[in-house]
Amino acid sequence: MSRQYLAWGSADNAHPVDIFSLAVTEKQVLSVSGAPSIKVHSTENTEFPLVQSIDQAHTLGCHHIVTDSSGTRAVSAGFDGNLKVWACNDGHWAADATTTASLASIHPWAIALSGDGQYLAGVSESGHVGVWDLNNEGAQIRDHETKGSFGTCIDLSADGRFIASGHENGAVYIFLTETGRMPFSLSGLVKPVRAVAFSPGGKILAAAGDSKVIVLYDTSSGEQIANLSGHSAWVLSLSWSSSGEYLLSSSFDGKVKVWSIDTKMCVATHSETEKAVWSVKWLPKTARSESFATAGANRSVAFYREATGG
Amino acid sequence: MVMSQGSSSVPPASPTVEESQRLVREFIDDILINILDQVSLSPSESRPCITLRRRSNQTQCTINSQTRALEARLNDEAYHSHSWPGRTPFESWKFTVIIRILSIIDEAICTEQLISKRDIYYIDPAYFKSQATVNAVVDDLAFTIGVDRTFLNIEAASKGLVAGRFQLERESRVIVDASSGEDTMIPRVQGSDTIDIEGVRWVFIIEKEAVFHRLARSNYPKRAISGDGILITGKGYPDVSTREFAHQLFIASRRYDRPPHFYALMDSDPHGMAIMSTYKYGSMAHLHENARLSLPGLEWLGVRLTDAILASESPGAGRVLSLTANDRRKILAMLRKNPVWASDGPEREWVTELHRMLLLNVKAEIEILYEREGGLEAWIDRKLFRQE
Repeated sequence: MSRQYLAWGSADNAHPVDIFSLAVTEKQVLSVSGAPSIKVHSTENTEFPLVQSIDQAHTLGCHHIVTDSSGTRAVSAGFDGNLKVWACNDGHWAADATTTASLASIHPWAIALSGDGQYLAGVSESGHVGVWDLNNEGAQIRDHETKGSFGTCIDLSADGRFIASGHENGAVYIFLTETGRMPFSLSGLVKPVRAVAFSPGGKILAAAGDSKVIVLYDTSSGEQIANLSGHSAWVLSLSWSSSGEYLLSSSFDGKVKVWSIDTKMCVATHSETEKAVWSVKWLPKTARSESFATAGANRSVAFYREATGG
Repeated sequence: MVMSQGSSSVPPASPTVEESQRLVREFIDDILINILDQVSLSPSESRPCITLRRRSNQTQCTINSQTRALEARLNDEAYHSHSWPGRTPFESWKFTVIIRILSIIDEAICTEQLISKRDIYYIDPAYFKSQATVNAVVDDLAFTIGVDRTFLNIEAASKGLVAGRFQLERESRVIVDASSGEDTMIPRVQGSDTIDIEGVRWVFIIEKEAVFHRLARSNYPKRAISGDGILITGKGYPDVSTREFAHQLFIASRRYDRPPHFYALMDSDPHGMAIMSTYKYGSMAHLHENARLSLPGLEWLGVRLTDAILASESPGAGRVLSLTANDRRKILAMLRKNPVWASDGPEREWVTELHRMLLLNVKAEIEILYEREGGLEAWIDRKLFRQE
């Protein structure tokens, strides 16, 4: 059964160069690119107006941005290797200089933030996975060594129990945050992994990358549950809907797909662009309709919503 | 004093040939007279001295809005005086090195001979200690006088090659014809020479010698669907003569009604991108020479990461490669230092390519296109068709 998602509007040419990462809060989408500024777009009306531009956030541009679930804290990672922490007050973002300073000596590549905003997880170019406590002067509370392959992506489960990291050599690791143990080194992907994402309940981990297939793993057993095939280019980004029913994915050839976890089928494909879509994110569910945002090499943030009454 | 420092705030406009020759002559004569004057004093008062203008700090440069070439910011120069006897043995040695090189240049000019920096070094390697010493003094001298170093009768032996529909005429005789299919060394074009590139539709600036040879051997300059063309390679980072030749070709091509396009054909890695930037905007090491060496009209044919990744998917094709730690450092250094790579600069597509390399941690060699159907040649044919 296919579903329809309609173009809902877009923030055109939001950045002068490729947009690499999106982060969502209840009423905003934050976007970062190869240019220095972080752009904040309101999702409160379908004009998706720019409500704030944090200029000169990262001089050499920025490749990751993450937010906590309440939308009060954001962390961004710049191409120069530096992390910056941001605090939101009444919809306005400002630099959190103290927390930023406490992270001055760490340089992870990919990052994830726990739902409560307290813990930052990161994986480095040398494959090191770390966890830092942002409410305790950035103290490192976990340090996991892997086989040294470039860490391309990382995620924290919503309940904070698991960390997953994806690597250039195809490896995917799951760590238990409580004990620091690594129960699983997951097989199945031989080519570089570009995205890992836990389902909202933390029961499933989705991972994908240059092998073009999305693999679903059971986080309690480490077993493969399913392979979602359909992308014909490198998969770059994954995002779970808030109910866990749908998985959103994007690829290097500009395709955006929605997958039903129930049927393991692709239920919608969007191909508005032929250029890489670097980041996709579901927006928090409002009323009864689901919606998502996409961004990438066409330099715009595009919004889609589920066709209602269908 | 050997030179006027009052002129230092004015950017050196390119002097004419006669002016340049006069400037060099005056500079050398002034220094020799200064030394003679000093030597005629009593030893306690005698202090012969040479002041050289240093090339600017590498981090301080900008893109000239008119010539589109990298150049030094104004007032960003340092002066350095060398005197005899110096305070240290090193200073005394440096003074004599400068005098020695000046006298070699003086002789070359008087006898109308061209010499290379390498020639100078090999006159007395033990004395000069390193090729780099000679290079630095020659460059500082040219910069101080405000002329190109060809007016010091110094030329670098070119390592570049040219092939295709190119002829150079001197006194109504064809002295270079690059269409024979054999390797043709890049010639030194003199003021009265005529460059004949009538009917040429494209000029490829190629990073790699191997790619140049492949296209030359398959006679691509005559067989391209888009018309006749010229291949140039500087074998990696180009030397000044290769850049000068490409620049002269570009200037000569502007007189035609339908001038050829100039395309860069590089690896998809930080060095390929840096080499393309060197041809188009110039290098940070020769800021005072870039305006007469740059190729403002250079377009990027490839290979882009997107093309390379697509090609790597076809059966039997080569793979994209992981960046090394050095590659990543090189990219960051490029993004930090050089205004060509600013995100609000003149080449956003280039900057984005560097960002994509960092993000995906991949690079690719142009040879990845060899295995495509029809090979590199068919790929170029399609690409040119789309660009025209």
